Amino acid sequence: MTNGNATLVVKDLRKKIGKKEIIKGLSFELKKGEVFGFLGPNGAGKTTTIRMLVGLVKPTSGQILLCGYDLHREFSKAVRQIGCIVENPELYPYLTGWENLEHFVRMVPDIPKNRIKEVVELVGLQNRIHDRVSTYSLGMRQRLGIAQALLGKPKILILDEPTNGLDPVGIREMREFIRFLAEKEGLTVLVSSHLLSEIQLMCDRVAIMAKGEIIRIDTVEYLLAEQERVIWKVEPLEKAKALLEEETVIIGEEDGTLITHYDAEKVSLWNEKLVKAGIKVSEIHTKLPTLEDLFIELTEGETID
Amino acid sequence: MKVNVVKIIAALAIFSSGLWMAGLGLAIKDQFFYEASSPVKKISLENVAEEKEDGFHIVALGDSLTRGTGDESGKGYVGYVADELQTKTKQTIRVKNLAIKGQRSAGLVSQLQQIEVQRQIKQADIILMTIGGNDLFQSGEALSNFSLERMNQAKADYLRNLHTIFKTIRHLNPDAVVFYISLYNPFNDLTDAKTTSAVVREWNFQSAEAAANYPNIIAVPTFDLFELNVNDYLYSDKFHPNKEGYKLIGERVASLITFTEGDEKND
Amino acid sequence: MINLVYNEMIKIVRKKRLLIIAAIIAVLVALFTYAQLKRVQSIQEQLGTTDWRAQLQQQIIDTQNRLNSSGLSEEWRKFLQIRLQQQQYYLDHDINPSAPGAPTFMRMFAENSIDLFIPLMVMVIAADLVSSEASGGTIKLLLTRPVKRWKILLSKYIAMILSVSFILLSLGALSYLISGVVFGFSGWTLPLLTGFSVHGEELDTANVHLISQWKYLLMEFGLVWFVSLVVGTLTFMLSVLMRSTAAVMGIMLAALISGAILSTMVSSWESAKYLFMVNLRLTDYVSGMAPPINGMTLGFSMTVLAVWGLAALIISFIVFTKRDVY
Ligand SMILES: Nc1ncnc2c1ncn2[C@@H]1O[C@H](COP(=O)(O)OP(=O)(O)O)[C@@H](O)[C@H]1O
Ligand SMILES: [Mg+2]
Repeated sequence: MTNGNATLVVKDLRKKIGKKEIIKGLSFELKKGEVFGFLGPNGAGKTTTIRMLVGLVKPTSGQILLCGYDLHREFSKAVRQIGCIVENPELYPYLTGWENLEHFVRMVPDIPKNRIKEVVELVGLQNRIHDRVSTYSLGMRQRLGIAQALLGKPKILILDEPTNGLDPVGIREMREFIRFLAEKEGLTVLVSSHLLSEIQLMCDRVAIMAKGEIIRIDTVEYLLAEQERVIWKVEPLEKAKALLEEETVIIGEEDGTLITHYDAEKVSLWNEKLVKAGIKVSEIHTKLPTLEDLFIELTEGETID
Repeated sequence: MKVNVVKIIAALAIFSSGLWMAGLGLAIKDQFFYEASSPVKKISLENVAEEKEDGFHIVALGDSLTRGTGDESGKGYVGYVADELQTKTKQTIRVKNLAIKGQRSAGLVSQLQQIEVQRQIKQADIILMTIGGNDLFQSGEALSNFSLERMNQAKADYLRNLHTIFKTIRHLNPDAVVFYISLYNPFNDLTDAKTTSAVVREWNFQSAEAAANYPNIIAVPTFDLFELNVNDYLYSDKFHPNKEGYKLIGERVASLITFTEGDEKND
Repeated sequence: MINLVYNEMIKIVRKKRLLIIAAIIAVLVALFTYAQLKRVQSIQEQLGTTDWRAQLQQQIIDTQNRLNSSGLSEEWRKFLQIRLQQQQYYLDHDINPSAPGAPTFMRMFAENSIDLFIPLMVMVIAADLVSSEASGGTIKLLLTRPVKRWKILLSKYIAMILSVSFILLSLGALSYLISGVVFGFSGWTLPLLTGFSVHGEELDTANVHLISQWKYLLMEFGLVWFVSLVVGTLTFMLSVLMRSTAAVMGIMLAALISGAILSTMVSSWESAKYLFMVNLRLTDYVSGMAPPINGMTLGFSMTVLAVWGLAALIISFIVFTKRDVY
């Protein structure tokens, strides 16, 4: 099933800590140039999974292939393919941004010197790059973190909650930057978040995680489209409800409106039936659910913020 | 700029690592694999005797009395003698107190074999000494558990040693006046004072006789100083003098010492 | 590998650790120089002589008097006994063990700081080498490079060794330069005695031989270096095991101070000699001081230290390469 252009392949990944199984058999693949989202509440196992993907934590079992290299067996070659920020962008505060980048360049044998300048320009830190990191704002640290991750021209970029703590402008910039990297530079990006709005706006595909398992993987459009709803503004409500219930399932009722699933072929028929029965249909419109609705549905109401 | 600092430090660190490693190697070689070859040369008196500091040199020899045990100021009679002499002369008084608590005559004999002790005696202008108290009072608890035989044995040993001591000192330094401070009876106040006093008097007599055999060795009596009101002059151990007692001895010795003209203070 | 070590050296230098240590050393050396000057002056005043032979003789007499007083602890008596014999030996062979001069001060400073001060300085460097990366989160960046974990740890270990060497170099240089201003800079070629060995209360002088002070100093600094490396390695291990630099320092501090206290009172607790912290005073074997526990020798102490250091090194590497990083 492994796709020809799959850059990151995970097969039946598990992690036990003590007796507790934190990650319970994840399998997924990432394709070149896509932005893949990990969505789940706090404690779902996103960070743990990412730590295993970058080699910080050893999986109890399972396999991780990065651009075809097995992380376990060919650690250096596999890790060479990725750039990452795990949790917060922690750099050496007593060094300047530039020195931090130099530090990491020295650890990889084949990065040309001018690469530092390139990534600094890419993340737009030219003005402050020679200041100590301890004087940076969180947004600047986040950018420096990304610069650091991009130094080795990775094929896969792994970012754990990259927008955490950023202001709305910062979040938008980050989102655009990630899309830019995927579309223009052809990177595969794996982003985790507990914020649905964010994932919804920047990802091509999403894996929904809860309690160490992936509940669902699909493209954002498909996940949403499948759940498209129709909202009926009708009078009298009770009679309309009885009639619609004969045809489909009423999934909600909200201040004088009824909500049903969307079915492109049948909606007009249902409307005709209502009108014939003398019900006043003042408004019919379709609505895409937010991922939030979806998420609550899928995880059966687990809290999320 | 900054990179250079790091490089300099790193270079120094590498250099010093080598240096310390060599030191460690040397230490291992020297400490574990040293082959004893020629033994280290001992000092000889001829090589060191000449170096002499200016001033008036007092060398004090003997036991706890010379050490000053019982005087809380730590001076002892030696200190009071030195203080007194300092008022009489322009020269710096230099005291070398070589007395050891509990020392007996045999101990002093062997102490006098040490080159450095000999050197100091050689350079001395006067010599103060007490010896014999421990031979007498501690040899078989002589006075409390009186045994004539043991006493006589102790006295014979002591007198032989005393002769050796005087002879050695005179040999090393023919000129310096030696003040041999004789014994007092610390038990003067106790019930058998009569017996003990007789023993001490006899002991002092024999010692003075010995001293008389050598030029410039003066036996200084202290018996009379402690005869009346002995407890006023004794330390709480009822054996050693206290500050006042030492002052008495010091005054007596100091009064015996005069300076040659020109050294005297004229103020 | 050179790049990795260079990275570590940059971090150590930029954290200003070496600078702070050099400053502490300078202050302490100045303090000790002053104290030593005062001591020399007060001895001269007290004895009324500047003649070292007379001074040493007086010290011998003082020691003999102390030995004759009651209530001395057994350890103290033994210590005095050995020192007495040694001083007498120096005197009998007409060698001044404390001839004034910067090299003599260096030697005394090294001998007195080998079991506490120098280990403390080494600890300051080694304690946060790994733990600060863990607590600061930068370990995640280090370990997601295409470099094997053991190489990263080795680079840190080498940086630790280099820093230790550098600290000793600054200690030597600073103590020479600062004390030299007061005591004069000469005295490298003065003869000293070494090769004493202690059997019970007796000082064995069969292997005693003369050696010039510069050689003696080099030997002592070599031993100080060895001790520092062992202390550094132990600290390094704790730094690998723990995230909190403060905890690492706390544990090492407790061990070192307890060692300093223990070595004055363990003579009846025989098996304490296998603790690393009572074996730190290697220079005492060179100068011929009595060891804290009967039967301890330079070879024994070096072996004990080496075993501790090696064990710590092995544990460090196993834990660091195997462990999950959170
Ligand atoms: N070192 C650890 N030891 C034990 N349990 C852990 C450890 N790290 C994380 N966990 C547990 O694993 C689960 C997943 O955590 P995490 O991967 O951090 O979740 P997320 O990043 O999705 O918020 C949580 O229930 C957490 O309590
Ligand atoms: Mg997380």
